[in-house]
Amino acid sequence: MSIELNLDGTPRTVSVAARKPGWRLTVDGTPYTVSEEQGEDCVLLTVGERRYRVWRALEGNRVHLKIGGRTFSLGYEEEVSAAAHAGAAGHEVHADMPGVVVDVHCGPDAIVSAGDALLVIESMKMQITITAPRDGVVAMVHVAKNQPFEKGNLLVSLRDEEA
Amino acid sequence: MLKKILIANRGEIACRIMRTAQRLGIGTVAVHHFADRAAPHVALADEARELHAEVPTAAYLDAEQLIAAAQATGAEGIHPGYGFLSENAGFAAKVEAAGLVFIGPQPGVIELMGDKIRSREFAQAHGVPVAPSIEQEGDLAAFVAGAEAIGFPLLIKAAAGGGGKGMSIVRNAQELAARATIASSEAQRYFADGRIYAERYVERPRHIEVQVLGDGTGTVLHLFERECSIQRRFQKIVEESPAARLAPELREKICSAAVKLASSAKYRNAGTVEFILAPNGEFYFLEMNTRLQVEHPVTEYVTGLDLVEAQLRVAAGETLWLEQADVKLTGHAIECRICAEQPEHDFRPATGTVRKLRIPTGEGVRFDGGIREGQAITAAFDSMLAKLVVHGADRHAATDMIRDALEEFVLLGVDNNSDYLGRIFDHEAFRAGDLHTGFVVEHAAGLAPPPLDATDEAAVLLAAALATEELRRLIDEVPEPHASIGGWRN
Amino acid sequence: MARIQSSLNISSADFRRNYGANKVRIEEFRAKQHAARFNRPQRDVERLAKQGKMMPRERLERLLDPGTPFLELSSLAANMAYDGEAPGASSITGIGIVSGREVMLRADDPSIKGGAWYPLTIKKIVRCLDMAIENRLPVVHLCDSAGGFLPLQSQLFPDKHMAGRIFRNQSILSKLNCKQLSLVFGHCTAGGAYIPGLSDYSVIVRGTGAVFLGGPPLVKAATGEVVTVDELGGCDLHTQVSGTCDYPAGSEAEAIAIGREIVSQWDRAPKWAIQQAEVEAPHYDPDELYGIIPDDIKRGFDMREVIARLVDGSRFHEYQPAYGTTLVCGYANLWGFKIGILANNGVLFNDSALKGAHFIELCNQNQTPLVFLQNITGYMVGREYEARGITKDGAKMIMAQTCSRVPKFTIMCHGSFGAGNYGMCGRAYDARFLFTWPNHQIGVMGGEQAAKTLMEVKLRQLERNAQHIDQAILDRVYHETLEAYQEQVTAYYSTSEIWDDGIIDPVDTRNALGVAISASLNAPLGDPGYGVFRF
Repeated sequence: MSIELNLDGTPRTVSVAARKPGWRLTVDGTPYTVSEEQGEDCVLLTVGERRYRVWRALEGNRVHLKIGGRTFSLGYEEEVSAAAHAGAAGHEVHADMPGVVVDVHCGPDAIVSAGDALLVIESMKMQITITAPRDGVVAMVHVAKNQPFEKGNLLVSLRDEEA
Repeated sequence: MLKKILIANRGEIACRIMRTAQRLGIGTVAVHHFADRAAPHVALADEARELHAEVPTAAYLDAEQLIAAAQATGAEGIHPGYGFLSENAGFAAKVEAAGLVFIGPQPGVIELMGDKIRSREFAQAHGVPVAPSIEQEGDLAAFVAGAEAIGFPLLIKAAAGGGGKGMSIVRNAQELAARATIASSEAQRYFADGRIYAERYVERPRHIEVQVLGDGTGTVLHLFERECSIQRRFQKIVEESPAARLAPELREKICSAAVKLASSAKYRNAGTVEFILAPNGEFYFLEMNTRLQVEHPVTEYVTGLDLVEAQLRVAAGETLWLEQADVKLTGHAIECRICAEQPEHDFRPATGTVRKLRIPTGEGVRFDGGIREGQAITAAFDSMLAKLVVHGADRHAATDMIRDALEEFVLLGVDNNSDYLGRIFDHEAFRAGDLHTGFVVEHAAGLAPPPLDATDEAAVLLAAALATEELRRLIDEVPEPHASIGGWRN
Repeated sequence: MARIQSSLNISSADFRRNYGANKVRIEEFRAKQHAARFNRPQRDVERLAKQGKMMPRERLERLLDPGTPFLELSSLAANMAYDGEAPGASSITGIGIVSGREVMLRADDPSIKGGAWYPLTIKKIVRCLDMAIENRLPVVHLCDSAGGFLPLQSQLFPDKHMAGRIFRNQSILSKLNCKQLSLVFGHCTAGGAYIPGLSDYSVIVRGTGAVFLGGPPLVKAATGEVVTVDELGGCDLHTQVSGTCDYPAGSEAEAIAIGREIVSQWDRAPKWAIQQAEVEAPHYDPDELYGIIPDDIKRGFDMREVIARLVDGSRFHEYQPAYGTTLVCGYANLWGFKIGILANNGVLFNDSALKGAHFIELCNQNQTPLVFLQNITGYMVGREYEARGITKDGAKMIMAQTCSRVPKFTIMCHGSFGAGNYGMCGRAYDARFLFTWPNHQIGVMGGEQAAKTLMEVKLRQLERNAQHIDQAILDRVYHETLEAYQEQVTAYYSTSEIWDDGIIDPVDTRNALGVAISASLNAPLGDPGYGVFRF
């Protein structure tokens, strides 16, 4: 059992190796000695020999933090949903940002290869082509031309090609 | 002095204007679209009026509603801030026609300086150096021929454009021909005026602008220059005063040229004259912005003057109360614009909700932001969230101060450029004052986020994981003696 | 509490010889364990992989909280049965932590004959559920079995403590408020269907999990109905239509994640408040146990040296130190829990039996769990001792021990022979957990003694019948007896038959007892009271 995070598109895991006498936590299996204490207005995190000031905020499926002078935003999924979605990975295409559909280039049962254009959307005055993340078959297109959508909305579902 | 004003704007500039007004005992009226009802500028004002529009930005562009709101609340004047209707001559005229004071220049001057071509001609006519250029008078073919004659590289601009929009560089005849058609149709679409012009493009130009203040009688002061060479997509993100490396004689020439231009137009209230400075010391008039600029705080810091107060005094009818000799430079000020965007994805605008905000404080540090924790940052408005300004003893000290302030600054929940700005201030070229408008592109590799070593990367993941309830429970809920025995197997 | 003063000389020849021999024994033990746990025919491993199934130990490790102990029971069950076809008796049982709760875990092993249940599998499952009942532990079942191993059905079906006892135990557990969760990874057929059926919560994996009283072949034979596994008892049928299972899962990983979340919903019943102190590691190195335990069953050792390497700070409060010296009694702490220890330093005499009985009563009065460290060849025999009432005194000790209300734990360290086994809480006496060390031997008497006795018996028989005394016959009786005993007295034989809850490395004893004592505190203390003591 481990915590599933996503840093810059790569899945990473954090788990526990030991709790006493101090925390030994693992990142992708590599253990580190870790401790945390509350500072004045931030958290003081010690990893190995290094000390960091940390500010963080948890927001649904993201963890935002500033650490070591840099800002990060990581994806996070609770174990049960992560396990449920592990099968769906690559089968769902969600919107990265709010916008409007300009053009739809696929329909149900269309066979697509990774990289094929599925939709063209406009957001923040820029037009972007949404492409298929993997080979497969279009199961359903959830939006129509000129339809607006919010960040995170499901745009297209794919399924595997039947053998 | 005016007793009550309406601020036809939002965000940080609205808050900033109100703070000076409050200090001077002037009543403040805020306006807002429904989407902005919880915004800080609304809370800060003495009174607020809601404007109605389909789209939030349209509300702040509705002249009739704005004037009506002013009249309904008894405001004597309207401060337009920057952007929105601040450089709309028609709006200024309507405000004055309604018997209200427009806190800015005369409508006619706004119109003159708003037209790139006319203002250029005006500058040339009054002895202010301009870059060789040609405007489109008839068909595109003639325009292209004339442009070629000036020589490459050329900058193609929309005559009615501004704020860095609708501009592009061409380096040869083919590019020129292709670009001219596109630029014209874009100009038509964005500015409702398809006229374009081409002018000499200076390589590695520096953007130097001069703050001026006039009282409408022809008397104009300059409040020295600002350097705004650090830009991305033609939009300024770092400004400083005085300019990074400028010989006093050159400073004198540029500032005098600005004063010449403004006084020739009998300029009233505050404005900025922008120039392009070439590496060889030649400078050309670019445009004049007939409004308060985003980066005005750096001038305020080094001159010790409150520009909004100056605007209000001029608007109240005062003639200039200062002599040029009274205006002195002290220390060095730097400002950076914190924007909701992703620098690593071509500065694509970002949205989200402000989940955590920690504002840097300290002697000589000023944070002008109209944001608060819990606020939703949407695509509805401009991506600039706040300005961070510092004032130090010299450029080196100011650079360290602003870099440190950015490290102390925390904004979580909306992707922003604060880390990126910090890397600019750490960069050798910036510290050396080796600036030009292509800085961000030239140093793209050096400004990219440096890779994390294994421990630092692990710390990021651990810090994030420890924010989750899941990991806390996994650590804390194991009873004794099992927690002490640990991962034992027999 | 004073620390035991060790008089062990780790440079002595004795120590070095013992250490060397024990290290070899331990390596042998570890090798057997590893083989039993992990050696599987490649085709079975591939079959599971193709079905998208994890190996059972992988399921277990994902279910358990990371960085927590797992006390596995009877890892070498059936190691000397069925020609070695069913390592671990095709079952994994043990106590671990899931979502912060102490649970008894039981997993079928589908990598062995499809997870079929052998007679010893049933015994192991029944034993683990008995332990769950005695200690009031919740249970998580990881189900994936082809059902009973039909060729041996008469040994696994009809009797009181055979297959039916599993479902009887599940019902009793439920009545005692001990929650049960079943994760159905594979088939639960016939009786096996009752495991999720009698569980309070169940999760079933789509595609591979199935629950039915009769599988498709049996159904076709019985009624002619033709139906697929999924149609008959798959995930969607049971989670959408019949309500037999509670949660559908798209994968094994998802089922395990759901299982963890279910367990996280369970309340933690209060445990009885045993006396506790701050934990201290033993002062002496537990590794030295290898040098203390002799490699010869006939050689003795001082149990105080063993105690010093098990208990907190090596501190021991000895009771009646000058009386009944062949039985060491006293209080100590182990992982902070206060315990009363009874340990053999020789044969039991009248005084040691009386001391033992009295100390057991004191521990019951003080609500202190009892830990028996066995190394006993028996009670003293002979006319003098009978005249003094050794039988009565042994009976008093058995009465006191049997009627104890506090939980009991037994470690068989070296030898466990004859009636000494009884007084010192052998298998029949309901120790909550009973472990043996690898070199341990158990029998009604020692092998040589038995061989000599039977040879004597044969000799008398020949004399009575006035037959010729053929030394060869006598020798054969001696050697055959000795051979049979050699095999049947070993710890491996005992653990194969599940006469214990597992062989453990002596060095692991401290942790095993820590986990065991903690688990036992989930059950309330028994009622006080004794039968009649023959005085």
